[in-house]
Amino acid sequence: MNIVKVENVYVAYGPFIALEDVTWSIKKPLFLSVIGPNGAGKTTLLRVLLGLIKPFVGKVEVLGLDPSKKALKLRRRIGYVPQRERIDPAALVLVKDVVLMGRLPKKKPIAFFTKEDVEKAREALKLVDMDNFWDKPFSHLSGGQQQRVLIARAIASQPEILLLDEPLAGVDIASEGRILQALKNLVSEGVTVVIVTHNLNPSLKLSDEVILLNRKVVAAGPPQKVLNEETLTKTFMREMKILRLEKEKVIVEG
Amino acid sequence: MGTFNFFLYSFLINALIATLLTSLTTSAVGVFVVQKKMSTMGAAVAHSSLAGAILALLLKINPLLGAFILSILFSFLISYIGKKEEGRMDVMLGLVFGLSTALAVLFLSLTSTYSVSAWQYIIGDVLSVTIDEINILLTLTFTTLLLITLLFKGFKFIVFDEETAEAMGLRTDLLRYTLTMIVAIVTVISLKVVGSILTIILLVAPAASAYEFSHSFEKAVILAELFALTSGLTGLIASIYLNVSASAITGIIAVFTYFLSYIFSTKRRKCKCIVKQIRVIKEKTL
Repeated sequence: MNIVKVENVYVAYGPFIALEDVTWSIKKPLFLSVIGPNGAGKTTLLRVLLGLIKPFVGKVEVLGLDPSKKALKLRRRIGYVPQRERIDPAALVLVKDVVLMGRLPKKKPIAFFTKEDVEKAREALKLVDMDNFWDKPFSHLSGGQQQRVLIARAIASQPEILLLDEPLAGVDIASEGRILQALKNLVSEGVTVVIVTHNLNPSLKLSDEVILLNRKVVAAGPPQKVLNEETLTKTFMREMKILRLEKEKVIVEG
Repeated sequence: MGTFNFFLYSFLINALIATLLTSLTTSAVGVFVVQKKMSTMGAAVAHSSLAGAILALLLKINPLLGAFILSILFSFLISYIGKKEEGRMDVMLGLVFGLSTALAVLFLSLTSTYSVSAWQYIIGDVLSVTIDEINILLTLTFTTLLLITLLFKGFKFIVFDEETAEAMGLRTDLLRYTLTMIVAIVTVISLKVVGSILTIILLVAPAASAYEFSHSFEKAVILAELFALTSGLTGLIASIYLNVSASAITGIIAVFTYFLSYIFSTKRRKCKCIVKQIRVIKEKTL
């Protein structure tokens, strides 16, 4: 069974086509980066997988379920990290409140947290190196720290698939490394990690596969096969160059 | 004289209980209203409950029942529009606010003579609360506080990050409709006590004051309760001694408390400390 299967998907917002004939699949747990410029349909693709948007043409299957028909059942098996800009940084929540939210979807509407919930939440915080911040107000954290807490919340839900929307936006280099390593560790535990980003370089080293997206899938596959100046230029619609820095590829605007 | 004292005493007890119930419910819900930036919605629902109360007076049924039905209808309408037209919520709320007020004015104009009863629901008249109304308020308060307690964690999630709550499989529609329904119930509770115009102050001011000293929802709710109880009881006592409207005094005290909270905010004080530290460092380097 495919973990994700997307076939000939088209999505439109009014007259604007956001995704056009998108086809790809994930067969085993891996680290996948969906890369493309702003407005390429990356967030839309995540929303399609979550069943928040129904494509007007095409077939989507996630964990063997149709997201538009079995939305609630499916979403409870998926962890989601939104763009941090959408969250009020001064909200009245403590770090533990945020991480424990990840435990709520699997419970009934009238819910009480058990010892196990607290343990799982603490473990998730430890994975992103934030376990010392359990009782701290969320508003006291830096942008990078807040991002790590949001990732811990998704991890605490014990997802089979983790979807992250621009998780590295506004994050410093030190936090970037910690976040990516924590995500990579999850893959080895059998979790499929899909990150959506317009910033190519940070996640490339750890990605098992890459999708270059600009409304259409420009290229998909392992980074060493897919990433070349032609595909990148086609994706970002401007000249892109690949430099080599101590055996590592660095992508820059041409 | 003895009979007079008995009546005066029972009026005061009713007023006291009504003030306590209103303060408890408005402040607890107010924390969610303020954090979810729903205060305009609260005002719109408060005006729809006024329209319902006046319509009920026209139809000669219990005004609180009329207020309850119309405010629930309007709160569901706002919740539905809010989901469908998320980007245009501001405009939609303006329209719904206008519609509920227009309906209230229309029903008021249909009353044959100047209606003292209707006026009670516009500006509140806590001293005229009857024992039957106290029983209704008690039931509604119990329902409201029970729902808030049971769904507290879910409400906290949708207020903090509704997008993720929905994406991770929480029943956000159910929670949002329940929260707006609670706002509607609270406007009914406070209708006779502070009136439709001043309900918004009790929803917003204690919660906004509590925000200045809190970092968690739990602490904010407790502080908002304390601020609301203080404003409500002080307003009631002051109104008796000064022979002025209790709702007006309560509203003024609640807003004044907010200004004091803003000045003495522990959150802002920290900011001032940081500014001071930066200034000291700058002076040293110069």
